[in-house]
Amino acid sequence: MQGTTDDSVDVGVPFADVLMAYADAAVRRDGDLAERRAAVESALGAEAVVDAAATVANYQRMVRIADGCGIPLDEVTEQASAEWRESLGVNEYYSALNTYGEEVAAPA
Amino acid sequence: MAFEYLGGGWPISRRVRGAHRRSWERLASAGFWWTGVERVAIAAECRRAAALAAGESADSESGAAGLGGGRVGLPEAAVHAVQKIVVDNANLSREWVEEVCAAEGMSEERYIELLGVLVHVFSIDELHRALGIPLEPLPAALAGEPSRRRPTGARRVAGWLPITPPDALDAEDAGLYDNAPFAANVLTALSLVPDNLPWLADLSHAHYLSYAEMRETGKVREISRAQQELIASRVSVLNECFY
Repeated sequence: MQGTTDDSVDVGVPFADVLMAYADAAVRRDGDLAERRAAVESALGAEAVVDAAATVANYQRMVRIADGCGIPLDEVTEQASAEWRESLGVNEYYSALNTYGEEVAAPA
Repeated sequence: MAFEYLGGGWPISRRVRGAHRRSWERLASAGFWWTGVERVAIAAECRRAAALAAGESADSESGAAGLGGGRVGLPEAAVHAVQKIVVDNANLSREWVEEVCAAEGMSEERYIELLGVLVHVFSIDELHRALGIPLEPLPAALAGEPSRRRPTGARRVAGWLPITPPDALDAEDAGLYDNAPFAANVLTALSLVPDNLPWLADLSHAHYLSYAEMRETGKVREISRAQQELIASRVSVLNECFY
């Protein structure tokens, strides 16, 4: 999980670097999106590009459902993810308030 | 026919094409609390927000056909809500949602249906943008009146707004959770408007995995499950989404 917030960490997933670079460019709508898409195609093929794009699209939706409804983490997930959420800094997100209430600092 | 994907050059599966076409049919039809015209207008507002956030004019994003009906009949609070959810979703708050729901022309039910329309259209558009292909023109709205049916078992369980939990379904919503006694918060979140849930499941299957496929450990798509989860986590981090 550390690799999702720290690019220097090897996450042990094949072609993680090109996939994350593509996801970054797609979400941020960076100018180098075409270049990063081509890198995924070169590494994994055109069908993989479509599946990667679809996964980005799916989570662009899911995060807005969660944020738009203010839902808390499910209890099982909350317990299972406690340790790595702390290490990743995820607890600092404003939407952590939806799970922990006012115990978490408001955003800057 | 919509979503032909003739010129893009990408191998878009029948599964995805079918789900996109069904999404456009749902979008164009009257819902529970908005007419078809209003739902298409919500979609157009979603595109306008995404375009402006990217520093483009709304017309350069999708062309006049892509924007469809524009701001026809939407309450000001609805337009504001769409813009905020598209552009600044990391900073939504209970107070803000309560304010939107209490505004003229809005309600909890209308907010949840607006959110349902918005996220599904946004997801389809994001797939197009990620692949570098033009957005599909929005559909022509179909005639019809909203049903204005609020599930009788809707109640606050988790989150800011009421949901319809699996143990409180009306007869017409009986299959909403495939008879599961429990559903994760993100799956119940939009259930104040039950029609959101089949849409959610259909597009999840197309863009990611079906609920049954999520329980499989092997490779289901062209990228591995680990690669899918990596992308999912990255998108969540980029959006600063705690959930």
